[in-house]
Amino acid sequence: MRLRGLIFPALGCALLLCAWEVVGRDGMLGKTLPALSQILRVYEDGPRRALLVRSTAATLDSAAAGYAVGVGLGAAVAIFAHLVPLMRGGLDRMAVLVNALPVIALGPVLIITAGREGTPAALASVPVFFLLYTSTGVGLRGASRRLEMVLITLGATRWQRLAKFQAVAALPSVLAGMKIAASSAMIGAVVGEWFGAPSGLGVVVLNSMQNFQIPLLWATVIVIAAITLSSYGLLTLGERAARRRIDECDG
Amino acid sequence: MATIALTGVTRSFLRRSGARRKQVFVALGPLDVQIGDGEFVALIGASGCGKSTVLRLLAGLDEPTTGQVQINGQPPRDLQTQHSLGIAFQEHALLPWRSVAGNLRLPFEVAGLTATEDRIDELIALAGLKGFEHVRPAQLSGGMRQRVAIARALALRPKLLLLDEPFGALDAVTRRRMNFELERIWLESRPTTLMVTHSVEEAALLADRILVLTERPGRVRLDTCVPFSRPRPAALMRTAEFHRLVDELTANLEAA
Repeated sequence: MRLRGLIFPALGCALLLCAWEVVGRDGMLGKTLPALSQILRVYEDGPRRALLVRSTAATLDSAAAGYAVGVGLGAAVAIFAHLVPLMRGGLDRMAVLVNALPVIALGPVLIITAGREGTPAALASVPVFFLLYTSTGVGLRGASRRLEMVLITLGATRWQRLAKFQAVAALPSVLAGMKIAASSAMIGAVVGEWFGAPSGLGVVVLNSMQNFQIPLLWATVIVIAAITLSSYGLLTLGERAARRRIDECDG
Repeated sequence: MATIALTGVTRSFLRRSGARRKQVFVALGPLDVQIGDGEFVALIGASGCGKSTVLRLLAGLDEPTTGQVQINGQPPRDLQTQHSLGIAFQEHALLPWRSVAGNLRLPFEVAGLTATEDRIDELIALAGLKGFEHVRPAQLSGGMRQRVAIARALALRPKLLLLDEPFGALDAVTRRRMNFELERIWLESRPTTLMVTHSVEEAALLADRILVLTERPGRVRLDTCVPFSRPRPAALMRTAEFHRLVDELTANLEAA
């Protein structure tokens, strides 16, 4: 059953890739869409491969740093807003404001404050912060009101309620936020590199575009997409495991 | 144990009516009720008469607009911090990621006490759930979950036990069985108890005293004692006295 469910998607993908190869070889969509085989050859070419490996490491570094900061800060601020309801309205508005700021507009400001090397991580952290602030808040507020009342009646302090109940109940929602945030961190890091970072996949994208190295451009974009998709897939597994353990399911 | 005194208690809410006007509406009271030590009191009344509000006031989850709520001469919030209240709702409200034993340990953790294995075993036996210690709530039937919730409410030997429609979500047969189970469990420690219920039979079967509330704003329409001795057998429900009490309560409920 599972296997049969995989046949059609696999067939579809293969068909699409074949079409890409044919269209690329023929050149019917111009030089900007090279054949798949031509792109794959970039990964075999020593110097360009080394460049991609080096750049991937740099971008992953920035994305991971921004991700860690954004996740930590977003969750911490959401917990703070939850514990101090007086602050919540203001913090909600601040988070929305941060999210509404166009990343491109933030770039130059960040270069001055965070430096060229720090900008990718800083830009990666912005959407992550917002997503985690929102998903943590939703998770904490979504915890059963009845259980909350039972715990208050039993004399649980605000902190005990958070530790024993709300934080655990919020976990699936937090993981859902982390899942989406992983892609955002990657995009933030790549865009951040466009503002003059010394190295990274964003730099390669920019350079190969300007120098008309079309296969290298495609090869880089594929690496970015692969990282984004695999992090999303990995965190989806984590989220599912958490839901199985934590969410109530009858049967 | 505990004696309860509600003196001149009212609870009103602000309701938005129209674009800007806010209207005060009185949901409850004025209410003057005394409940004695170890008494099992059932509170019945039409939907929306404020009976759950009374329970929330006693649990310290809500404050009266006017009047005073005192348990042993103290406000309910003090009993919260002393971990002397137990509560169970219609929804079992168990932690879904914890086993039966884990859920029963929760009140002890909250109170900063260590639950001895003996006490947990005792509570599991009380709930009639031997052999289900390590099972999660999702794997239990509705009646079993409610028994865990009630055992959890009794875990710290509370001075006051509050039950809000504890069997409201169960089917009629299970509910009847649970009523007898509750009496058995209750007789072990006889805490002062207030139970909110829709079921006249349930009230007559379990309580020492029954309060019928009027429609909004809820006031005491009838305050009657239940004369039957304990433990009450199933056969009681087929006696003329039981039917007379049920009829009287129903008549008052409908007049409300």
